Amino acid sequence: MAIRGIDLTTLTLKAALDLATLIEEEARDRYEELADQMQVHHTPDVERFFRRMVEVEQRHRDELARRRQALFGAAPPAVSRAAIFDVEAPDYDEVRQGMSVRAALESAMRSEVKAHDFFVRALPRVTDPDVKTLFEELRDEEVEHRQWVQAELDRLPAASGPDGDVSDEPVAQ
Amino acid sequence: MTSDLVIGMAGSGGDGIVSAGESLIAAAAREGYHALMTKSYGPQIRGGESSCRVRIATGQVHGPGGALDLAVALNWDDFLKFGAELTVSGGTVVVWDSASGITAEKLPLPGVTPARAMAVPLADLTRLATGSDKMKNSLVLGLLSGWLGLPPALVLDGLKKRFLRKGEALWQASERAFQAGFEYAGAQPLDADLRLAAATRPAGAAATLVADGNEMSAAAAIFAGCQFFGGYPITPSSEVMQFLSREIWKYGGTVLQAEDEIAGIAAAVGASFAGRKAMTATSGPGVDLKTEVLGLASMIEVPLVLLNVQRGGPSTGLPTRAEQGDLFQACFSAHGDVLRPVLAPTSVADSFDVMVEAFNIAEHYQTPVLVLSDQEIAQRKEAVDPIDTSRFEIVERLTPAASELQDYKRYRNTASGISPMSRPGMPGGAYLASGIEHNEAGAPASSGPAHTLMNEKRFRKIRALQQRDDLLLTEGDPGAPLAIVSWGSSAGVCREALRLAQAEGLRVKLLVPRLLYPVAEDAYVRFFGGVQAGLFVEQSLQGQLHRIVRMFVDLPPNVEALCRSGANPFQPLEVVERLRALARALPGRLSEPPAKE
Amino acid sequence: METQAYAPKDFKSDLKPIWCPGCGDFGVLQAIYRALAAIGRPPHEIAFVSGIGCSSRIPGYTTAYGFNSVHGRALPIAQGIKLANPDLLVLCAGGDGDGFSIGGGHLPHAVRRNADLTYIVMDNQVYGLTKGQLSPTSSRGRKTVTSAYGSLEQPINPLLQVLSYGAGFVAQGTPADTPGLTMLIEEAIRYPGFAFVNVQSPCVTYGEEHQQMRAQKAMMQPLASLGHDPADFLKALEWATRYGRELHTGVFYRNPEPPPSYEQQVRERQALLSRNALPRERILELFAPHA
Repeated sequence: MAIRGIDLTTLTLKAALDLATLIEEEARDRYEELADQMQVHHTPDVERFFRRMVEVEQRHRDELARRRQALFGAAPPAVSRAAIFDVEAPDYDEVRQGMSVRAALESAMRSEVKAHDFFVRALPRVTDPDVKTLFEELRDEEVEHRQWVQAELDRLPAASGPDGDVSDEPVAQ
Repeated sequence: MTSDLVIGMAGSGGDGIVSAGESLIAAAAREGYHALMTKSYGPQIRGGESSCRVRIATGQVHGPGGALDLAVALNWDDFLKFGAELTVSGGTVVVWDSASGITAEKLPLPGVTPARAMAVPLADLTRLATGSDKMKNSLVLGLLSGWLGLPPALVLDGLKKRFLRKGEALWQASERAFQAGFEYAGAQPLDADLRLAAATRPAGAAATLVADGNEMSAAAAIFAGCQFFGGYPITPSSEVMQFLSREIWKYGGTVLQAEDEIAGIAAAVGASFAGRKAMTATSGPGVDLKTEVLGLASMIEVPLVLLNVQRGGPSTGLPTRAEQGDLFQACFSAHGDVLRPVLAPTSVADSFDVMVEAFNIAEHYQTPVLVLSDQEIAQRKEAVDPIDTSRFEIVERLTPAASELQDYKRYRNTASGISPMSRPGMPGGAYLASGIEHNEAGAPASSGPAHTLMNEKRFRKIRALQQRDDLLLTEGDPGAPLAIVSWGSSAGVCREALRLAQAEGLRVKLLVPRLLYPVAEDAYVRFFGGVQAGLFVEQSLQGQLHRIVRMFVDLPPNVEALCRSGANPFQPLEVVERLRALARALPGRLSEPPAKE
Repeated sequence: METQAYAPKDFKSDLKPIWCPGCGDFGVLQAIYRALAAIGRPPHEIAFVSGIGCSSRIPGYTTAYGFNSVHGRALPIAQGIKLANPDLLVLCAGGDGDGFSIGGGHLPHAVRRNADLTYIVMDNQVYGLTKGQLSPTSSRGRKTVTSAYGSLEQPINPLLQVLSYGAGFVAQGTPADTPGLTMLIEEAIRYPGFAFVNVQSPCVTYGEEHQQMRAQKAMMQPLASLGHDPADFLKALEWATRYGRELHTGVFYRNPEPPPSYEQQVRERQALLSRNALPRERILELFAPHA
């Protein structure tokens, strides 16, 4: 279950915006962690991509936060990070040392699909009309995000050169 | 009249010989004498051969002494098993149970004719007085009380305290046996005058203390503020844990008898990391097992006291005998460059001082400290002058000031090498303690420069101890050309040898290092300046202190080792013999003051 | 004990983990952050002890007082810390080698003392840090760098062992179900006594295919969904026997009447015995002859 302790049937717009903001924050933080992992494991292309994703998620997050601020000011959030688990954030299992940018993009794609599916599944349970509107919007945005990722994938040069891993043996510590 | 008397007694465990010795030393202590008692046993858990030596003197004694003045053999088979401890010479008065059937002419002491040989019907007298021979030890105490001039009331008081709780009948039998012995002594005085000269107790002093090295070390730990003991039973150190397991709770502390030696020291390291003064105690085999965690303690810079009550080694070795063979282990075990302070007491009273010092050094320098006691000091009882606890300073570890808790660096490379130490619970003080090499903040670091920095910090911190001149005790004429260096239980023997040598006109001085490691190079250089010949006296085959000092200090020629495997304690006269030989072998007037230059 | 509102990132340190990308331990760490946030104790009141191994690096990645000690000795060190300051929240972690091989001798004793600790083992059936050797939970026949022709040994069953030693809280989780693992860790911390959480945390470099997260997701079965009552010790033992063949997650056993912890008993004893103690400066009075 990607969310815990949230009753979608009684979700208000304020709480929904909080939830959406947190989803982006979680994704942003996860991409930051994954970027660090790539940095520590010397996979610079993918690190760069993940750092871009951090910015992308940050932008999404800021937009939602602005909307929330405009509508509800600085009232304390109704939802906590403890309630969400990898809604849009990629699984830790998605990454590997020395992975290709293609693989990273495919992982990002899966995350966007995951997020899209979350809103699709959530919609039937939502009763508040404003929340419904918001979730439909977010669902459609995820489609745009997927298209963006797909475009990136398409722009990747075709794999050239031989396949296979030429990295050194692991080192005992 | 005599001012220094050594009594040796032997029998089987069932005779209660050692208990008798304990009663004797307690009575002597109450009367104001100095006293020292050592015990020796066979390997049986109960009822085997056992013996004790009790030395009673008006002045301070430093060791068990030499040949016996009075030997009491409840049976000869058992007595002869302790030939090394119970040395009979031409000056000894020998008393034995006539029930053995052995006559004065046929004493099983080849090559020795004692000063006086007296067969006493010990078993018969006891039977007469009490109906059985069970209370022979009380009878012997009565004899000794009469012959030595110890106030019978004092001895009886001790017997009463011991036996009354085992039953009225037992106490009464003990009392009757004692009286029978006392009367016999009155009726059959010894030719030799073994009566003790009056005790000289300082006016207004509190009662003398009677303790063995283990319990004294444990009491010192409590005094120093120790609140955690983690350890495992091992002979001859278990009594330290046992004492603490009775007392430490009263001071907010706890004893954990752990599942093994490693868990014992690991728990102590945890407790110290969490802010409490902590210790462990063991013997050689246990130190072997604890070595890895000792290294960890040095690496994460936690205070810890490890008391090693040395026994014969290597391996299982001689669990009930003393040896001074663990110095190499204390200084050098644990891989890598590690510098650990090593201290050693020389007597029961000294055990108090050294343990308090050990805790202070551990806390101040944030390091494990090894204290090397040995089986002899640990298990011998001494009647000592009261110790004035107010003269001791107790040192606490350096903790960070509020300003240092902003961006706190646990291993900050200070000038002294000592960095303020936080503890869990302290806001702002969180850090990672790890055995892996680290930077000043505690994060793992594996570069050459980072490692060098930290190694040097850890060494610099401890090296400062080499300037502690108060930890190396010297006696005798500072300009003497003959020198002795000794440590641990051998030092007491050398103190007596020093006095004997001086009485013969030899100019000798003695160095007893309480701090064995790091080697206080300057102090040794100063001590050996002008020395023409000398001895390192210690009980180990390799003469370990001698070798270690020579790693760091160039000693003058003619400084030799008087060393041998343990279970062969030195006697003062043999040290004097070697000194005489050294004096004879060298040119010059070693026994006279140097001419004015 | 004061608790406050903390976010999981309040427990995250600046140190970047050296674990291989894809390592199960990342998920465990995330679950620990979340569990600690839910508990609400400040980081400086938490002591986190580990041994040696990849998973033993974990304390350094938190803002607690960390202690990355020597191989197999985390449990006795943690007990020393807790006895020295029972008000601390003490966590203990390590791998299957650290905990069940070299550290195996300490486990029964920490359990039977009922030290109030939470012990999290990241069980991946291999020695990762040292390059892929056999571990005590590797299955029979497993080929590794030290068992080129297949292991000849039966693996130990950590769940069965810890249950039989008498632990009051025994659970198993996996980072393939982070929400579930978070709850288990939180419950384990709240349990007043020794609590054990075995985590199937796959090694992405040396682990086998069937041990990876994808496979775990397909295989895992929550005990709760199978109708297990954690108060039923005998049933817990039965489920535990399936370790290695099946992957059951959740609480195997929680003692419905937790006995007093070791530290609690120590505290009571200290209070009782301190009442008529000789002042420390006068301790030598114990040595008066015939005292």
